[in-house]
Amino acid sequence: MESRVRRAKARSVAPTKASPFEAGRAHFALPTLRPFYMNGIRYCEAIWRCTVVGICVPFLLAGDAQAYKAYVSNEKSNTISIIDTAERKVVGTIKVGQRPRGIAITRDQKYVLVAVGDDDTIQMIDTATNKVVDTLPSGPDPELFTDDPSGRLLYVANENDNTVTIIDIERRTRLGDVEVGVEPEGMGLSPDGKILVNTSETTNMAHFIDTATRKIVANVLVDSRPRFAQFKDDGSELWVSSEIGGTVSIIDPVKHAVKGKINFAIPGMRQEAIQPVGIAITHDGKTGFVALGPANRIAVIDGATHQVQKYLLVGQRVWHMAFTPDEKYLLTTNGVSNDVSVIDVAALKVIDTIQVGELPWGVAISQH
Amino acid sequence: MKPAALLLFAITTLGAGLQRAEAADPRYPDWPCAQAKVPELSVAAVWDGPSIEQAQKTWQDDPAIKNLVERLAARRIPIEEAQKNIEDFLAAAGAAKADKGLLLFAGLFETLNRQRTEVMNGLERLQRRQRELADRIKADVSAQHELPDNAHPDQAKLDELGTRIEWSTRIFDERRRSVRYACEVPVAIERRLFALARAIRRQME
Repeated sequence: MESRVRRAKARSVAPTKASPFEAGRAHFALPTLRPFYMNGIRYCEAIWRCTVVGICVPFLLAGDAQAYKAYVSNEKSNTISIIDTAERKVVGTIKVGQRPRGIAITRDQKYVLVAVGDDDTIQMIDTATNKVVDTLPSGPDPELFTDDPSGRLLYVANENDNTVTIIDIERRTRLGDVEVGVEPEGMGLSPDGKILVNTSETTNMAHFIDTATRKIVANVLVDSRPRFAQFKDDGSELWVSSEIGGTVSIIDPVKHAVKGKINFAIPGMRQEAIQPVGIAITHDGKTGFVALGPANRIAVIDGATHQVQKYLLVGQRVWHMAFTPDEKYLLTTNGVSNDVSVIDVAALKVIDTIQVGELPWGVAISQH
Repeated sequence: MKPAALLLFAITTLGAGLQRAEAADPRYPDWPCAQAKVPELSVAAVWDGPSIEQAQKTWQDDPAIKNLVERLAARRIPIEEAQKNIEDFLAAAGAAKADKGLLLFAGLFETLNRQRTEVMNGLERLQRRQRELADRIKADVSAQHELPDNAHPDQAKLDELGTRIEWSTRIFDERRRSVRYACEVPVAIERRLFALARAIRRQME
């Protein structure tokens, strides 16, 4: 069903304190290695910085042996496992709060942020010391979040109170809330940072939120229990996974309409065991990866035709994933087998498995 | 904990447990675990190699396979050791590696699947016994309350009921704890099967 619900009434937005940084984001730019976009061209701020400072040239020239750190949230053991991606083994474990799930690294690479749902907060881990040093004021039961391109604002889905909270990362303050559907979860930000998409598990909608006005501008109906939203890097498509519906909806972000659906079929497997959750798309938009939960597989999707090319058997109950910055590898979290699979992106093969803590949920990979 | 407090706790927990089971899946009212009951494992969930249809009929005819399956299926053998056994066995198989790998997986699939079903049946049996015990406790508590509340109560009867309630509650509580522990077993078996299948596939490639 490709129905579309146009925005009918303006959703209320909690009044917020104006931030002095609100207008001029540029002067607040933090050193970052994440790519940003201007007029559809991909830039890497790191290159610019390195030219000025002139010290990270060796880093940028580093070849195959480039080691990154992957941080994996273990929902049941209440820890973060740190994986060295070159050695492909766990090199450290950090104790965190109760029920860590959503995880990301700030653009300046100084902190790992982890949503600890049962403690109703987001913890900040210093990447230099691997210690929890601060918290961010989310709403109750935070699950997933995303930061804006400046790395200054954080948008958090609070599963228990049907809101998205906007947080100023630097000042650790709450700027406001946007009311969304029931059980908000997936969070995707358009590459230009202008549109935030939040999916709600019970309402079965992708809510399009204008980040400037903080109002919902459109609601798009998707299949049952949407879990994750991912834009292509050129902003041309938004992919939304539906865990119970068993599909991925391809949405036109301008028309706010579902323009196609990815369906999955694995011989010998019951259809209800195919439960799409995590999505990752290569920078060039040519290949997409969808985690299929208890089907224990990652589907490889042709980014242009949206056809499934291949299914890769990874680990049990695979949910989320992340690329290494060079996009050579994709790491997936397998909740039941308590491990992380390493996929060679060029060869489309599973090349390794790394044991982590209990019930690995999310993964974030550092830029260096 | 005082018997009365224990009892209250037990009855409340049982009520919640029964409710949860009913809400989870009406097909399996006796299933006591939080995770959904999946009666049979499917080959596709753990295996992306060639079809094992033929191997499922013949694996038992190969004594070496049969012995190894028995050894690997035993959960007291650490998984690392089991994986090493698979590596060694298939490395020694030479040209027959792919065939032996299929037979080995077919045997492990059947054996661990059966093991898992037995554990799940045991869990449901235990849950039924818990329900009966809870009913008995409830009846005893009612009887206790119905005894005449006068200056000369039937002390012997009161004592007997009190002791019985205390013991029943203890048994109930201990069983409840073991159910929680046992609920992890089907998951552990599934995890073991997946890890062993993965080791076989790695050797076959």
